Amino acid sequence: MPEFHPGNWVEDAVDWLQTHLGWLFDFINTVLTGLYDGINAVLGGGEPLLLAGIFAVIAFWLRGLAAGVIAFVGFVLIDLFQLWDEAMQTLSLVLAAAVITIVIAVPTGIWAARKKSVSAAVRPVLDVMQTMPAFVYLIPGVMFFSVGTTPGLLATIIFSMPPGVRMTELGIRQVDGELVEAAEAFGTSPKHTLTRVQFPLALPTIMAGVNQVIMLALSMVVIAGMAGAPGLGERVYAAVTQVQIGLGVESGVAVVILAMYLDRMTGALNVRVSPLGRRAAAKATAMMGRMRFVRYKPGSAVALCGVVVLALVAGGMNFADSGSKEQASGSTNVGKGKQLNMGYIPWDEGIATSYLWKEVLEQRGFKPNLKQLDAGPLYTSLAQGETDFQTDAWLPTTHQQYWDKYGSKMEKLGSWYGPTSLELSVPSYVKGVKSLADLKGKGKKFDGKIIGIESSAGEMKILKEKVLKDYGLEGEYKVVSSSTSSMLSELKRSIQKKEPVVVTLWSPHWAYNAYDLTKLDDPKGSFGKGEKLYNVGRKGFAKDNPVVASWLKNFHLKEKQLTSLEDKIQGAGKGQEQKAVKEWLKDHPGFVDKMAPAPGGEKKQGKDAGKAVQMGYFPWDEAIATTYLWQNILEDRGYKPNVKQLDPGPLYTALAQGQMDFQTDAWLPTTHEQYWRKYKDRLTDVGSWHGPTSLELSVPDYVKGVDSLEDLKGKSDMFGGKITGIESSAGEMKILKKVLKDYGLDKEYKVVSSSTSSMISEVDRSVKQKKPVVATTWSPHWVYSKYPMKKLDDPKGSWGKGDHIHVTAKKGFEKDFPELYGWLKDFHMSEDDLGSLEATIQSGGKGKEKESARKWLDSHPGMEDKLAPVK
Amino acid sequence: MSRLRAEHLYKVFGRRADQAVARLEAGTDREELRAQGTTAAVIDSSFEVEEGQIFVVMGLSGSGKSTLLRMLNGLLEPTAGRVLFDGEDLTALPARELREVRAHKISMVFQHFALFPHRSVLENAAYGLEVQGVPREERDKRATEALELAGLKGWEASWPDELSGGMQQRVGLARALATDADLLLMDESFSALDPLIRRDMQDQLLQLQKTLKKTIVFITHDLNEAMRLGDRIAVMRDGRIVQIGTAEDILVRPATDYVASFIQDVDRSRVLTAGSIMDEDKADAAAAQGRGLGKAPTVTTETPLAELFTPFSTSEDAMIVTDDAGTPVGVVDRERLLAALAEEPRVDAAAAVPAGVATEKTSKDAGVRARA
Repeated sequence: MPEFHPGNWVEDAVDWLQTHLGWLFDFINTVLTGLYDGINAVLGGGEPLLLAGIFAVIAFWLRGLAAGVIAFVGFVLIDLFQLWDEAMQTLSLVLAAAVITIVIAVPTGIWAARKKSVSAAVRPVLDVMQTMPAFVYLIPGVMFFSVGTTPGLLATIIFSMPPGVRMTELGIRQVDGELVEAAEAFGTSPKHTLTRVQFPLALPTIMAGVNQVIMLALSMVVIAGMAGAPGLGERVYAAVTQVQIGLGVESGVAVVILAMYLDRMTGALNVRVSPLGRRAAAKATAMMGRMRFVRYKPGSAVALCGVVVLALVAGGMNFADSGSKEQASGSTNVGKGKQLNMGYIPWDEGIATSYLWKEVLEQRGFKPNLKQLDAGPLYTSLAQGETDFQTDAWLPTTHQQYWDKYGSKMEKLGSWYGPTSLELSVPSYVKGVKSLADLKGKGKKFDGKIIGIESSAGEMKILKEKVLKDYGLEGEYKVVSSSTSSMLSELKRSIQKKEPVVVTLWSPHWAYNAYDLTKLDDPKGSFGKGEKLYNVGRKGFAKDNPVVASWLKNFHLKEKQLTSLEDKIQGAGKGQEQKAVKEWLKDHPGFVDKMAPAPGGEKKQGKDAGKAVQMGYFPWDEAIATTYLWQNILEDRGYKPNVKQLDPGPLYTALAQGQMDFQTDAWLPTTHEQYWRKYKDRLTDVGSWHGPTSLELSVPDYVKGVDSLEDLKGKSDMFGGKITGIESSAGEMKILKKVLKDYGLDKEYKVVSSSTSSMISEVDRSVKQKKPVVATTWSPHWVYSKYPMKKLDDPKGSWGKGDHIHVTAKKGFEKDFPELYGWLKDFHMSEDDLGSLEATIQSGGKGKEKESARKWLDSHPGMEDKLAPVK
Repeated sequence: MSRLRAEHLYKVFGRRADQAVARLEAGTDREELRAQGTTAAVIDSSFEVEEGQIFVVMGLSGSGKSTLLRMLNGLLEPTAGRVLFDGEDLTALPARELREVRAHKISMVFQHFALFPHRSVLENAAYGLEVQGVPREERDKRATEALELAGLKGWEASWPDELSGGMQQRVGLARALATDADLLLMDESFSALDPLIRRDMQDQLLQLQKTLKKTIVFITHDLNEAMRLGDRIAVMRDGRIVQIGTAEDILVRPATDYVASFIQDVDRSRVLTAGSIMDEDKADAAAAQGRGLGKAPTVTTETPLAELFTPFSTSEDAMIVTDDAGTPVGVVDRERLLAALAEEPRVDAAAAVPAGVATEKTSKDAGVRARA
């Protein structure tokens, strides 16, 4: 029979298109990614709970109260799974694809309904779109558009188009002919016949089509995760390929929640959108009688208001956040936020090293993006420059085909491991089997079975066709092909039962770290020579990123290191790769600096580098400031500081019990007297770093003639007779009453108690408008750094004597951390320094304290060495 | 001058329609054409409708009457022939102008009402006005008026599916009346209603017609309905009009035996009037008698025969038939009445529509007459 392969032509055609129609693909790419990015910016930008609220309001509007509540719970669940971002990415993909699909499908359906010839032409095309396995166009999609959003979207659009077209055509055709005739008989133009009669009547069917489109889009978007489309699909794909059942189930449930939400909402949309649907709903409600409230749904206007309010809140929070996204810049910040795209094949060593690099690059201030891909798409995207580098190129054999095809568009960034080897292994408790030759005649012992991996794997081919023959094991042993994960579970089972077993393995593999295995020698060299693992970058990567390239080129892992890292990741499982890497790095102190030495010299390590320090603080401004400052310093010195926020009571208790190592904000002898008295025997007073503190009233410095409390007398008109206070429960407020009496101000001024933050905003407002104001403040406080406030003198000493702020530590701190103790003992901060540090942290916003402190530290060169000197 | 005039209308479905018309004109049989895959739905139909007349087209299903109706407003384009409305050739108009004519001058009432389920009763009634581009306020006003005319006051806010069949058709009627079109096409409009309601609707249509004086083309397969409503009736068979005339013409002088068999079951006593069976020769005698006795019962020419039975049951005397002015124009006696009811309708070839068209039939009809 002659052979016929149209596939070759298709391949040629794809090549041709790639070279000649690049602009078209660029255009499509721009449109699709633009649409996706736009939607994702909206969905992904907000606070999850607020967005969940918006979804809930929509559900309430469309389906009633119960649906609203369930939707909210569902979305919160997704957030609890920590899959919120992925879910929103998926939702954005679905919406982007659905919008484009509907824009194309509905008009096409209408056209087909009106013209038989169009209908006849469209039908086979739809059949192809619907039945052609998605991978078939997913892969050329990758050729044209590289990995990521676009091919996923494209595949999704193609896959979800048919029901949209079909249902539209059906819906229009289904409209009673007599009605269309009636419309025509009254002189309706074809256009209006469509808009006034056919379309509204077909709408329920069209909406069913839209529903199908969205559901198919969702299912396809998940599959598109294979082509690197972001979102839940990527997670599911990762979970499936890495046999992480937990992650798989969680992402699966998230997909189901999204699916149910989309299905129910688009299903119910019909009721709101089409006149017939509204009519049916009204009828149903009327039938319900007294149970009507169960079906209560807010009007469109009400629902819209709800959505808008929530959206504004979400948007506002987002806006407030965006001001403070500046990256902390330390001297280890080599990347300065530069983005690097990494890809990896879900092979154990690929996962391990990719996440290792991700963690290290993040520590060095880069923004690495990690994407799991199959080998083909990975190399394609490297060749196209979409991916910057990958760490798991097996050369010269395994990945030879890709290297041959794309080698000219990539560059090797050094080999970091090698040689690899293929082998058969047995548990070490199987005595007397050290080499392949030893297997002969022991078939009975192993049940005549060699546990293999995927039958498509190259190793299996070599094993069956060469190794068994060379050692004469054919007939005696049968190679059972299954999968890598089944092989591993078989191995695990056997080891638990201490049964003999022969498995097909390769090095490096984490199994060697997890189990005590013997690699069987291959004296005849039948398995062939091993390969080396290379880092491979896109063309020009080394030129664009000389530092990273030099790190990569100098990167090397020993088998023990690699397998222990793999094992750690394997043990952590399900989405915790990076955490596992962090733990592993903790066990290998100094590894990061060796792997990615910061230019300009290594960080000076403290003597106790690697030691974990537990720091506690309670949310007072100077406590937050100094704690995060020390966290940064200690990290630079190689310590592992941990920071925990506690209330003063529990904090002192924890210190006394030795659970905490030190805290920086002990106000002594007055404010924290009670704690100190209670625990002083079990605490160490490291020393005071600031003082004295003081309480005071303050006014802006443009208020002339008021420098002391005495000057306030008779000027109440100027200040509206008002002193802006803080929380009425604060000790200072109590003392203030006495102060006012002492100076005879108690009749003239009224103290308005509010809160510290309102006091500060009152100051802010007054300073902006240049109005006089008296505020209740204390030192140290950042209000003095931010606003031109002057403290009013207290000649009579009514405020009493100030405290000093001490560092207190657990008992024995001196012995445990001699170096740190020395630093803290000499720790001193001026009011200006502290004020500016607090102000920096204040303007950096919540959750960014550490970065803000780092920023401050960087802007005060020499400070670190002054505070934590090392020789 | 007639308002509506159909001239030699043909409608042929299928391939090579034009050739089919030529062959039909040359005398080819309809069945022969059907064997070749073309269907001649309407063949050489011509008629005129006067202003204010109800013109009924009657025929069994498949006789081509609905097709004929749809050619009158251009929903179907005639394969050959012309439709003249107020002297304007509708078949020559471009699509846009034809739509204008349909929107303003011709409206239609459908067999299964064809109400838009996604519009309220009021919106349905206002549909034609919406197409005309009448502003909302005015069209609501006029639609409300039309609904009132059709007897649906107070149902404006209801939905079609909440109404009974009869009421739905009233909405259909109101929709047609609201546009103020002069020509009303009614396609088996009452056929889907049950008999009592159908009768009500017929009465209402006649009642409305007295004041509105529309020109109406009414399609039906029900001879009694045709007789009741039609000022003139066209009987269709196999795509051809076989007879056009008043109800009486058709009853008394059926043009073919087909028509004759059709009218067999008609209650002749309700259709035939005293005027149609009176003895005009005795008019003078009657006049003399009337003047002399002053007692003899009188009836008008329009009185249906059914109403003569009661007087004859009590008196043997002939009855005097007078015209509208009261002038005696003839007499009816018992024998004449019984004879008229007993009479087999005589097929009258002269009454057949353009004799040239149905030559074969004419000869056959002649045979029937000979037998009669």
